[in-house]
Amino acid sequence: MIIKMLNLKRTVCLAMLLLTVALAEAQQSKVSAAYAFFQQDQLDSAKACIDAAVKHPETSADAQAWYLRGFIYKSIYNKQERGNKLSPSRLEALTSFKKSTTLDTAQANVQECIKNVKYLATTLYNDAAASLDSIDYKIAIGNFEKFKEYYLMVDPTPANIQQKDIAFSLAIAALYTQIFETDKKGKAEFLKMAKDAYNRILAIDPNNIGANYNMGVLYYNQAVNLINQSDYDLDIVALNDIQDNSINLFKESLPFMEKAYELDPKRRETLLGLSGIYFSLNEFEKSNMYKQKLEELEKQR
Amino acid sequence: MKKLLFILLLPLVLLTQSAAVRLDQSEEAGARIKAIYIYNFTKYIEWPAEYKEGNFVIGVYGTSIPLLNELNKMAASKTVGSQKMEIKNLTSAAEAAQCHIVYILADNSSQLADVVGKIKGKSTLIVTDKAGMAKLGAGINFSVVENKQKIELNRANIEKYKLKVASTLVEMAVQVK
Repeated sequence: MIIKMLNLKRTVCLAMLLLTVALAEAQQSKVSAAYAFFQQDQLDSAKACIDAAVKHPETSADAQAWYLRGFIYKSIYNKQERGNKLSPSRLEALTSFKKSTTLDTAQANVQECIKNVKYLATTLYNDAAASLDSIDYKIAIGNFEKFKEYYLMVDPTPANIQQKDIAFSLAIAALYTQIFETDKKGKAEFLKMAKDAYNRILAIDPNNIGANYNMGVLYYNQAVNLINQSDYDLDIVALNDIQDNSINLFKESLPFMEKAYELDPKRRETLLGLSGIYFSLNEFEKSNMYKQKLEELEKQR
Repeated sequence: MKKLLFILLLPLVLLTQSAAVRLDQSEEAGARIKAIYIYNFTKYIEWPAEYKEGNFVIGVYGTSIPLLNELNKMAASKTVGSQKMEIKNLTSAAEAAQCHIVYILADNSSQLADVVGKIKGKSTLIVTDKAGMAKLGAGINFSVVENKQKIELNRANIEKYKLKVASTLVEMAVQVK
């Protein structure tokens, strides 16, 4: 009886071992099948096989499987989703190449993965740049954030990614300003969004001349608009309140414009800005001083 | 695996500058504040009955295109009671006698005495734009206090032209005697 039970146990163990080996081989054959389908350009079948393979515990940590998955999804992106700025396959490809590099202890395909990440991240950046308009700006932001995440694999130097971050933030802030200008009351939140974007730049680079100048202009224009939108019927008490608010805004504008001047004293726009701010603060001597500097500058040109 | 395509990062083509500062915006804003004040003067000061017919004439003695533009815009959209507003750019002190309000700009402040001489017996409010003018004959003088446009008011210089000034306006002004 005991012998019979031991035999049965041994048989079950052997069966389980054989099953495990068979399953593992089956998963490996799924990777192979995926590769074969990929070679034949049957991308849907390749995708089904490779997705099954990377979900299975036997091959979920296989760097080669993820590497292949990256290529399959990249091909789907290139052939079927190229015009789609929200292409899900592009993101799957990026995730797969990234995963492959983390699993590839032998470093067999790491460089190739990085090249592909660079290519796909670049398409994300380009789509972000092409989406900088009043309709698609959220897509632009989403794609740029993804670009940054993956581009760090290509170029981990913080200063380089910061430069790209600054350039993008300058562009998005200018876009927010344009949207705000089209409807100052209905789109008031875009003014704050523009200021937030410039503040983000200045937190990274306090000497960024564009961010300083543009921030100064935002406050200046806000102050001027406050006055110019006032009705002639306004009583003197209300007019005083408007003046108080606009003066505060002109004073907010001043340090940004002065910083821009300090960074480039021969920039025409900044001289004009300082002259305008001091004029509005009724400090005419200072206003005239910058106006004269501007005139001298224009004589030299 | 298949060949990798190479692409380049596109430049961010959008303009990265906000709308630039225009100096005339500052001048327009300053002129707007003065226009609002002047419209308030028409509400808080009462002219004699014979001045309540025809156009309500505001004369500007001096040259300021932003101010003339603002006053003309105001005249196009507002009235003084039932009177239409008319904005005149004065070229001589003598023309002040035809005005309900004459605004002497800072550059023409030296003409104040002439204007005072020409409006004897008339009901014209003299408004100026230079420190000390309210003591020299102006009824109201624009002044700057802590960056803000304010007014100085010399009640005697208003009332001697048979104009009645509301206490509300007096209280809101820096009084000069």
